[in-house]
Amino acid sequence: MPQVFVIDYGMGNILSVLSAVRFLGATAEVTSDPESVARAAKLILPGVGSFRRAMESLRASGLDRAIHHAVHNDAKLLGICLGMQLLGTVGTEDGETEGLGLVNQRVDAFSPGELAGRKVPHIGFSPVKAAPGARLFAGLPAEADFYFVHSYRMAPDIPDTVVSSCEHGVPFAAAVEKGNIFGTQFHPEKSQTNGLLLLRNFLRL
Amino acid sequence: MPRKRIIFTLLHDRGNFMLSRNFRLQRVGNADWLEKNYNFAEIAFAIDELIVLDVSRGERNFAAFCTCLERVTRGCFAPIAAGGGVRTVEQARQLLRSGADKIVVNSALHHDGAFIRRLAEDLGRQCLVASVDLKRDASGEFRVWIENGATPVEGSARDCLARLAQLPVGELYLNSMDHDGTGRGYDAAMLDLLPPDWSIPVILAGGAGNHLHMAEGLGLPQVDAVATAHLLNFVGNGLENARRRLMEMPFDLATWPQRDCLKP
Repeated sequence: MPQVFVIDYGMGNILSVLSAVRFLGATAEVTSDPESVARAAKLILPGVGSFRRAMESLRASGLDRAIHHAVHNDAKLLGICLGMQLLGTVGTEDGETEGLGLVNQRVDAFSPGELAGRKVPHIGFSPVKAAPGARLFAGLPAEADFYFVHSYRMAPDIPDTVVSSCEHGVPFAAAVEKGNIFGTQFHPEKSQTNGLLLLRNFLRL
Repeated sequence: MPRKRIIFTLLHDRGNFMLSRNFRLQRVGNADWLEKNYNFAEIAFAIDELIVLDVSRGERNFAAFCTCLERVTRGCFAPIAAGGGVRTVEQARQLLRSGADKIVVNSALHHDGAFIRRLAEDLGRQCLVASVDLKRDASGEFRVWIENGATPVEGSARDCLARLAQLPVGELYLNSMDHDGTGRGYDAAMLDLLPPDWSIPVILAGGAGNHLHMAEGLGLPQVDAVATAHLLNFVGNGLENARRRLMEMPFDLATWPQRDCLKP
């Protein structure tokens, strides 16, 4: 397995991601250095917190350009939770903020109308329907439980993207795959063996 | 709609893990004991989530708590919340660096809303679990108690919870001090104190003695998760058995394969 770089930009449960990846036998390192990110073959972008703050932090450190550079050089990138949302075009948490634009979808809050009494944040294990051929879900059942904790989501109809979906009042994108770019709205590092199997699939890509 | 959750809560007091009964603590064992009697890498597969609270009655040793947290959460790939005496953003960050994914806050909810808002700005509101300890007074009315259940908060519990609904937190951990550690089941009457438009997930805690109590809690529509902190009632494979029985009932709990699925 190639070395994995977990991007540290001050937002997220880096340790959890790191220990899951190491548990699976991969060599993993935390980095906030744009040059290491730009040269990496495999990247994980974790993240917990506000979209705006996260993008500000990525831009201030030049990590946004480093991620683009790596992805253009065919690095495999996995965004987790906020990390997946950052792949999108625009985030609406805390005002509109431009995202990394690697996945052609915006990130909006669950609106009270569509929730039909369901609670926000969406917290807990929910079943995810794997899209046919989704590489992250290879070997997993067509529907498997993953742990979510979020109040914002991407709508599931995304052009040129393989979208595995979940439902919380409305369907939303639980995981995306577009070439070498991957994202999960749920936390695979917190989703017991289902999550470990998914992470192993990413590590083996 | 997410599946309902079973949460195990560990109570830590200066290096030891404790059994609490009506908030009076009894030492059960240290981290070695815990490792021997609750193999967390295994046990974690029987629960949906782990909460580790520093309930030290004397002076807290924050660094030692973090070390302990790191030890018990190693190899546990489930969500972990931690808290107890968190007074600064840096302490919250330190817990996140020691294996926690979410921060449990309690006393500050009632006397330092600004701190809660600062935490939410930094970590996101979904990262905060609001823990509320309730006790009935002589007339049977609920009151909120803070500082490890040592100090009552002025005003009715209903008012306290209505105020709390305005704070940026992600979940509510509702704990009965009267039922705590008694094994006589949850006090569902606490749920009636919530404002009608309550919108965040609710964890019911205090009083579970066996899986039937958990079933009662999980069956309540307002309840998203049930917690137990009873270290002795679920020792060995107790949590695993409780989960299996609940699924046979059948409660639609989350499922995942055994760990040997990861063998090549």
